[in-house]
Amino acid sequence: MGRESLQLRALAAAEITPMTVQVDPEGTEAKHLRHYADLASRPMRVLEIGCGDGRLTWRYAEAARRVTGIDLHPDDLRVAMIDRPANLAATVSFSQADAVHLPFTARRFDLAIFAWSF
Amino acid sequence: MHALKEIVRVVVPGGALIDLRPLCDRWPVEVAWSDGFLEAGRVTDLEESLAADRAANKATFDADASGVLHRERDEYFPFFYYWDTAKEMQDYIAQNWEDVISVEDDVWAKLRSLWTTANADARARLRMKMLITRYRVRE
Repeated sequence: MGRESLQLRALAAAEITPMTVQVDPEGTEAKHLRHYADLASRPMRVLEIGCGDGRLTWRYAEAARRVTGIDLHPDDLRVAMIDRPANLAATVSFSQADAVHLPFTARRFDLAIFAWSF
Repeated sequence: MHALKEIVRVVVPGGALIDLRPLCDRWPVEVAWSDGFLEAGRVTDLEESLAADRAANKATFDADASGVLHRERDEYFPFFYYWDTAKEMQDYIAQNWEDVISVEDDVWAKLRSLWTTANADARARLRMKMLITRYRVRE
């Protein structure tokens, strides 16, 4: 198994294993993402590839016009749906999809985030 | 490369793609506390992880070279995982990342020693190397 799923496996394991692990408590990843995405400049339609359980999604979604998260793993997407804050219900949606065959029409998004997905 | 082409298809011309991922770099294993840290040693990158890095680097390089994307800026930054004890870190890595990284016994021994003698708030820490890159989809 490759490192592309390292994050997902780690998060899944954290749910079933009674050990204390903290992932990026400093918020460094989200800080860099917000800076590079420049979401403050204008409301954007965002596609997040490999969104997993939404760990990263919740850290920028409020600044986006719309967020579509895709992932191959339905269990993670279920967690993301459960965790979705009520105030983001109209903004954030999730789909099970493969980045190689995106179920979207052309030129639909202003920004794509390819996070931990290679 | 196929995924990048597909992503470019759904992004508007002039839109952006952000690639955010960890890179193999023999990540440091550390003991960290409120105002300091010490390095116990480094992990060993396994071949599968190195191959994944090479494939990702080639895909993004090819997309840039072909003119599909234009690399605007990139940056490395640290990304930390923390565990309360050295043993928890060792168990976690054995359970989840056994095909991603390995850690030699002498590094674990040094980590346990440092953790035992460090401040009360000390935790075991893995310092990953992250790369973030912004590409512009060409008009």
